[in-house]
Amino acid sequence: MRYFKLIRLYFRIGVLNELEYRANFFVQIFQTVLGLLTALGGLAVIFEHTGDLGGWRSDELLALVGVYFLVGGLIGFVIQPSMQRLMMDVRTGTLDFMLTKPEDAQFIASIRQVEMWKLVDIALGVGLLVVALARLGRVMDVAQVLGFGVALLAGAAIVYSFWLMLATLVFWFVRVDNILVIFQTMYEAGRWPVTIYPGWMQVMLTFLVPVAFAVTVPSQAVVGRLTLQILMGALGVAALMLFVSRRFWRIGIRHYSGASA
Amino acid sequence: MIGLWARYYRAQIKLSLAVQFQYRVAMAIWMLDIVLSPMIYLVVWTTVAQSSGGTVNGFTPSDFAAYYTVLMIVQHITQIWHMWEYEYLIREGGMAQRLLRPLHPINEDISQNISYKILMLMVLIPAVLLFVLLFRPAFHTPLWSALAFIPAVLMGAALAFVIGWTLAMAAFWTTRIVAINSLYFTAMLFFAGYLAPLDLLPRFMQMIAGVLPFRWMMSFPVELALGRVAPEAVLGGFAAQALWIVFGVLVLRRVWKAAVRRFSSVGG
Amino acid sequence: MSASKSAVVIQNLRKTYQVHEREAGLGAALRSLVSRKSRDVKAVDSISFSVDMGEMVGFLGPNGAGKTTTLKMLSGLLYPTSGEARVLGYVPSRRERAFLSQMTLVMGQRNQLVWDIPAIDSFELNREVYRVPVAQYKQTLDELVELLDLGKLLTKPVRNLSLGERMKCEIAGALLHRPRVLFLDEPTIGLDVTMQRRIRLFVAEYNRRYGATVLLTSHYMADVEALCKRVVVIHHGSILFDGDLTALVERFSPHKTIHVKLADENQDFGAYGEVISREEGQVVLRVPKADTARVTGQLLANMEIHDLTVEDTPIDEVIEQVFAQPKEGRA
Repeated sequence: MRYFKLIRLYFRIGVLNELEYRANFFVQIFQTVLGLLTALGGLAVIFEHTGDLGGWRSDELLALVGVYFLVGGLIGFVIQPSMQRLMMDVRTGTLDFMLTKPEDAQFIASIRQVEMWKLVDIALGVGLLVVALARLGRVMDVAQVLGFGVALLAGAAIVYSFWLMLATLVFWFVRVDNILVIFQTMYEAGRWPVTIYPGWMQVMLTFLVPVAFAVTVPSQAVVGRLTLQILMGALGVAALMLFVSRRFWRIGIRHYSGASA
Repeated sequence: MIGLWARYYRAQIKLSLAVQFQYRVAMAIWMLDIVLSPMIYLVVWTTVAQSSGGTVNGFTPSDFAAYYTVLMIVQHITQIWHMWEYEYLIREGGMAQRLLRPLHPINEDISQNISYKILMLMVLIPAVLLFVLLFRPAFHTPLWSALAFIPAVLMGAALAFVIGWTLAMAAFWTTRIVAINSLYFTAMLFFAGYLAPLDLLPRFMQMIAGVLPFRWMMSFPVELALGRVAPEAVLGGFAAQALWIVFGVLVLRRVWKAAVRRFSSVGG
Repeated sequence: MSASKSAVVIQNLRKTYQVHEREAGLGAALRSLVSRKSRDVKAVDSISFSVDMGEMVGFLGPNGAGKTTTLKMLSGLLYPTSGEARVLGYVPSRRERAFLSQMTLVMGQRNQLVWDIPAIDSFELNREVYRVPVAQYKQTLDELVELLDLGKLLTKPVRNLSLGERMKCEIAGALLHRPRVLFLDEPTIGLDVTMQRRIRLFVAEYNRRYGATVLLTSHYMADVEALCKRVVVIHHGSILFDGDLTALVERFSPHKTIHVKLADENQDFGAYGEVISREEGQVVLRVPKADTARVTGQLLANMEIHDLTVEDTPIDEVIEQVFAQPKEGRA
């Protein structure tokens, strides 16, 4: 399909670009290893003192950390770079180049910028998941794998919509680049299962900044804690947010075009 | 002589306040991290305590609440960020401008550091109050310990600045300073008492923490504020802080010399 | 006569950079992950000259000639690869406080003023940095405000000023400590003609009033013409000419170009001058300076001319010609 071809083209440009900067590769590896040590170190310290955290055993938490890296890598690979590029383009007035292309503006804006080396994070996440599953002695059957996949996609869709809505704000408030930091800071909370936080925090981490859907729900799928209810809820929220963010985007584009006319 | 320095600092801090005030919204968003991270770890440790019969090594949930409340304050007072700015400073000509003046560039950074912390009290104080309301910390601090906290945290801030500024010098040699920064912050996480009170770390980590300077930046003042330092260990603590500061300054001077040489060879 | 002390002395100054080479293509990009080639670039190639106290010297040269590099070496920002430089008796690269307090470097496109606040606040800070006594500061400030016509500009945030207004404030800020040596690097770049003229007048007046030594770089001939009796032409890191401006113009720009718009461009212009270009309705001739008036008159008399303009040879052409000259071109 057309869209896949476009995706491949944009990604290829991203790759060629990145190879120019060899240092970035080593830096990313270093950062990822550091992140891994931090996560594992944190778990080690916690489990010195307890057998489980809010009902989650250490290997289940390992799976959670795996999803944390996987989703984080996904966000860092395409969602974050593209949204940041969008905001910068609006600020510097170069958005018009994108708007005059014949493809759907939202689609282009969302896949335009790629940070190739974040694939390392995704790889690490997958690796951790495999290790965790092995240690748990679990073998996921088809239904569970499907559940995980759906939960992951739903989570990704929700995060994407969230970022898109934040980025769309730039059409009105040009200097909002800092706002993206909010997500990154709160994503830190996703390192731990959202269920351990006090009620009001859980609400914030679910409906304000969708960390729960991004990390906890897919992890629940991996360790067998996912209920059909939650999965349906995630799908529902995903569909809703995709719809809302697209509408918001259209309003933003209209505003932008009107303003510069 | 001191008068001239005082006048310079007053003028420079006034100017920094004026500039930073214009970016207060962005800065307040940066503060989110300082408020949120302690909250996360507090919840984690409280959960651990609840599943271990109510305490972890003598820390009850309200002890943890007290620990992280104070940690939040100490982190604000001792934080440094200049290593993130130096890459741009050098690249966009700001460093060249500083080098043209008859004044060491570090003075501007010191002033900005101080003015930021003063300004952001506006965000910190409500955050601390909120923390206290939500998590109900319990304090059992003797007066002398609370008083000792003040010089300890100031020395901690000085130490953090010296080390952080030296680290920022790496920007003169490489643009990949993010890697070095990440290493620094990861070390801080474990060995300054952030992830967990140092007493709760596994033995080998505690040993590493003992030889690194990070505990003297944050953990030591925090423990003083909580009354968890034995009276006979206090002087030793201050001495350790002082020694690390002296050592840090000596290293800073060597590195700075090399940095200027490097800048002047390749033109920044 | 007691020799006026030299403000600036340069001997065999050299600055060489190493530049990494990159090639295109995926294969080369992958290879570069492992190894990289580099080559030497001579930004400044052994130049020598000296400047007297109170003298104004213009550095002329195209982009990349080495002008900015030289100024940076003289202000202590750059270490020379070899050779010697002394400003007011100091070695610039030592960056001694006494040296830095007596000189100033103004770079056309770089700001020293803080962006978000009024210029006057940055000035106050400079006063403390340079330890200028209050009375002297006030006096200097008043004079600069008058000379540069700063008026209300000082109380507006710098970001709200136009480029020209900002440049005026930058210059004022750079002179608050009454430096004895001024290094001005492309101070008029990007400014409109009126502002360029205003700044030139200011620099000339400043030099006259305070006897400050001024080294000015530019690629606008007009800057140098207006200000400097002495001009140093730099090209590819070497000095091609160092001497009187009138001598330079006379010797190396002995031509003028005449742009003629007329109905029939395919006529014979041999009698008038050398044809540089010929396109529909327009011809450009090169004519020796002395002949300009005569040729112009003849063209107007003998041909049907729609429009006629006489121009100086562009400075880049002059420099190219200077470069093309053998050793006799050097002073």
